[in-house]
Amino acid sequence: MIGYIVRRILGLIIVILLASLITFILMHAIPGGPFDELKMPLPPEVKANILKKYGLDRPVWEQYIRYIWRALHGDLGVPFQSPTETVTSLIARVWPVTLQIGAITIALSFSIGILLGIISALRQNTWIDYLVTTIATLGTTVPNFVIAIWLILFFSVTLRWLPTGGWGEPKNLILPVISYFLAPTAVIARFVKVNFLEELRKDYVRTARAKGLPERVVIFKHVFKNVLIPVMTLLGPMIPDLATGSVFIEVTFRVPGLGRFFYTSALNRDYPMIIAMILLIAILWGITYLVTDIIYAYIDPRIVFS
Amino acid sequence: MSKKLIVVSVVVMVFLILTSAFSAPVTNSVGKVLPIDAAPPEYQVLRVMSGPATTLDWFISVYKRTNEANNYFGEPLVRLNKNFELVPAAAKSWGVSKDGLTWTFNLDKNIYWTDGTPLTAEDFVFSFQLGADPKHGWDFTWFYSPIKNWDKVVKGELPPSEIGVKQGKDPYTLVITTEYPAPYLPMMMLYSTPLSKKAYEKYGPYYNNDPKTSVSCGPYVLQEWTKDKQIVFKINTKYGGRLKPYLEKIIVTFGDPGTSAFKAYLAGEIDICGYSNGQIFTPADLEVIEKDPELSKQFHQGFGDFRTFYLGFDCYNPPFNNLNVRKALAYAIDKEAIVKTIIRKQGMIAYGFLMPGFPGANPEGLKDIITYNPDQARKLLAEAGYPDGKGFPSLDMWVRSDLASPTVVAAANAIGAMLKKNLGIDVKITVKESKTFMDALNSHKLPFYLVSYGMDYLDQSNMLGIWVSTGRHAWKNDRYDKLVTEASSLIDKKKRDEMFKEAEKILVEDVGGIFLWHQTPGVLWKPYVKGSDLTPDKYGITALHWPGIEGVGTTIFNIYISKDVLKYRK
Repeated sequence: MIGYIVRRILGLIIVILLASLITFILMHAIPGGPFDELKMPLPPEVKANILKKYGLDRPVWEQYIRYIWRALHGDLGVPFQSPTETVTSLIARVWPVTLQIGAITIALSFSIGILLGIISALRQNTWIDYLVTTIATLGTTVPNFVIAIWLILFFSVTLRWLPTGGWGEPKNLILPVISYFLAPTAVIARFVKVNFLEELRKDYVRTARAKGLPERVVIFKHVFKNVLIPVMTLLGPMIPDLATGSVFIEVTFRVPGLGRFFYTSALNRDYPMIIAMILLIAILWGITYLVTDIIYAYIDPRIVFS
Repeated sequence: MSKKLIVVSVVVMVFLILTSAFSAPVTNSVGKVLPIDAAPPEYQVLRVMSGPATTLDWFISVYKRTNEANNYFGEPLVRLNKNFELVPAAAKSWGVSKDGLTWTFNLDKNIYWTDGTPLTAEDFVFSFQLGADPKHGWDFTWFYSPIKNWDKVVKGELPPSEIGVKQGKDPYTLVITTEYPAPYLPMMMLYSTPLSKKAYEKYGPYYNNDPKTSVSCGPYVLQEWTKDKQIVFKINTKYGGRLKPYLEKIIVTFGDPGTSAFKAYLAGEIDICGYSNGQIFTPADLEVIEKDPELSKQFHQGFGDFRTFYLGFDCYNPPFNNLNVRKALAYAIDKEAIVKTIIRKQGMIAYGFLMPGFPGANPEGLKDIITYNPDQARKLLAEAGYPDGKGFPSLDMWVRSDLASPTVVAAANAIGAMLKKNLGIDVKITVKESKTFMDALNSHKLPFYLVSYGMDYLDQSNMLGIWVSTGRHAWKNDRYDKLVTEASSLIDKKKRDEMFKEAEKILVEDVGGIFLWHQTPGVLWKPYVKGSDLTPDKYGITALHWPGIEGVGTTIFNIYISKDVLKYRK
C-alpha cells in the first residue's frame, strides 16, 4: 500500500510539472498581454519598462525556470490584478470563502441527496418519488446561474428578505448555497435511488428479510452500506470542483472567493495567478483521486492494491 | 398682575427657545447646513457599486481604480460642474503667459492633508514626476504629452525632474510649461488629483489602501477597505476646500456593475445604478424600467462620456486601402434603422466623431456627406473592382468584449446583414476578448472592427487627436494630421474651431471610420437622492453628467439624501 501511495505521489509531481509547463507556454502564446492598453497605445519605452519590472522581457523558457525555482522556495509571485499582496496571500485570503460555501454545499447535497434518494426508492412510483424526480431533473437541467437569478429576483428584489449578494454575514450564504447545492443534490438523489433499487433486488436482501430481520435493519445496516460505495465515486470529483468555486455563483452573488479569479486572471492575463490556479486544481484533483482510491480499499475488501 | 406677567413671559420665552431649537438649521460634520428637506446627518450615506480596484489614486493607476467613486483623497487643480464648465478647486485661479506656453496655478492655502501638512506645489510636482517616471510604468502616460519634456522623460531620455511641472515663486504657486500652446491644459488638469509626497515616501505607493496610513486633503477620508467587499469613505472633517460635501459617508460595494448593480438597485441596496463610463443597461433591463412607472421616473439620460461607436478598418492594406470600398460600406449602412430599432433610447445617430454637446461638434455640417444609399454603395464597390461583391473577401468584424453588450452585438449583426443585403459581402461577427482586441488594434493589425471611444477631456484635440496617424487607428491622412496637430496648439479659438471642423470633415469624407451612434447612457437614482447637479443643465437635460460622483466633478459636493429616504431604507 505504501509503495502504491509513493508511486502515485511521484506521478502527481510529474503531472504538476507538466501542467505548469503547458500552462506557461499556452498563456504566453495567446495574444494580448497583462499591460495592454484599452484607450491609446503606451509609448514602447513605457511598455518595455513595465515588462522589465515584472520580468516579462526575458525569454519564456527563462521566465519558466525562474518561476519554478521561486515556486520551489514558496514564492508564487505577485498577482498583476492585486499588486499589494502575493499570490499565496491572495489565495489564502479568498480560498477559505470558497471552501466555506463548498463544504456547506457538499454536506447539504450529500445528506439531502441521500435522504431523497432513499425515500424515492422506498416509495417508488408514489407522489414523493415523482416530486424527487422532478426536482432532480430541474436541478440537473437548469444551470445554477439561472437558479441564482431566480432566487435573487424572488428573495431579494420582490420579498427583500435576503441580500442580492455580499459577504460577511450568515444570510449572505443562503442564496449562493441554494443555487449551488441543487445540481449535486439532484445527481446524488438520482444515483442513490437507482443503486438502492438495484440493491433491494439482490439475494442478500431477500435472505435478510427471510431471516426475519426488521426492515429498518435490512435497509440501514445492509443495503445502505452497499449503496455508499458507488456514492463515493461521486464525492471524489465533487470535492475539487466545489472547493475551487464557481465563477458564475461568485460573480452573481459578489462572493469574494477563489472561483471568480479563474475568470479575472485569464481576462487580465494575470500570469502568476493563472499558473497558481492551474497548479492548485492539478494538486486538488490528484490528491482527491488518491484519497478516494485509498478509501475504496477500506470500504470494499475486494479492492487490493498491488 | 406682575406674577401673571412673569408666568406669561416665561412661557413665551420657553416656547421661543424650543421653537428656535427645533427650527435651527441642521449641519453636518463639516458644518455645512443641510437643505431643508434633507434627512438627518446619519442618513447622509450614498451607496454605490464598483468593479474591483487595487488603488484609489490617479497617479498610481488609472485603470485599477474604482468606477467613479474615487478622487476623494486629493484636491485636483480644477473641477467640472454639470454644465461642463471648469470651477476652481486646489487652484483658486490660473492664467497663461502671452505665448501660451506657461500656465500659472495659484493654490488655495486653506487646504491641508489630514496629517497636518499643507497641500503645496511640491505635492503636484511630485505626483506628475511620478507619472512620467519610466520606472513607475504608469498606465496613462500618453495623456500628458503636451507638458514640456514629458515624452522625453517617459522614454528615459531625461530625468523626471525635467518635466515642465515646477513650483513657482512660492510653495503655493504651480507652474506648468508646455511644448506648444495648449489652450485645453486647464481642462486636462481635471486629472491632477495629487498624492501626498510625505505619505508616499513614508508608506509607499499604496498608502491610501489602509486607513492607518491613508492621508487625504480631499473631501473624504478612508474609513474602511475590506478587500473584494467594500470601501467606506467618511467625510473629512479637516477638509479646507471651497466646496463642502453634504454626504457623511460613501459606501462602495464591490461587484460586477454589469451583472449585479441593477438587481442590487431594485433590491434597494444601492442608490445609484448605471454609470457614464460606457456601461449601458441591457435591452431586458430597459424593458423592466420602461414597464415600471416608478423606475421610469428614476431613469435619466445624459451625454455620458460623449462616446461614439464606430466601424474601423485597416486602411493600409486591401481591401480597405481603397477609399471607394470604405465609402461603399458607409453608404450601405442604415444608421437610422439601427438607432431606431436596436439602440433605441440609449443613443443617437452619429454623423461624425464628435457628439452634439461636445465642443466643436458639427452634426449639421456632416450629416449629408454620406447618407444611406444602397445604389450608390453598389456603384462604388463595383468601381473598386467588386461588382455585386464578387471577389470581395468575407469579413470578420471584431467587437471588443467589454463593449459587446447584447445591444452592441445586435447592432453588429444588423450591420452584417445590411452589408450582405446591399453589397453581397459576407460578414462574420466575432466578439473578441478586450486584451486580444486591443493588442491587434494598437499594432494596426485589425482589418475590420466595431469599437467605441469616450472622451478624456472636453476639447476637440482629445477626441480628434486619437485619429492622427500615430494613434490607434490604421488610417492616415496628411492634411488631417497637420490640421489636428496645428489646431491643438492654437490659442485663437475661432481659427482653431474651424481647423478642427475641417479635420472632422476629412475624417468623415475619407472614411477613417464609419460613425454609427453616439451613446446617451441612462443612470438610475433613487427619488431620495437629490442635489443641484441633478437638476436640468444649461441644455435642459437632467442627468448625472460625467464625471459622475468622482471627486473631480462638483456633483459629489451637492448630492444629499432627502427625508424621503425614510420610506425606502429600513
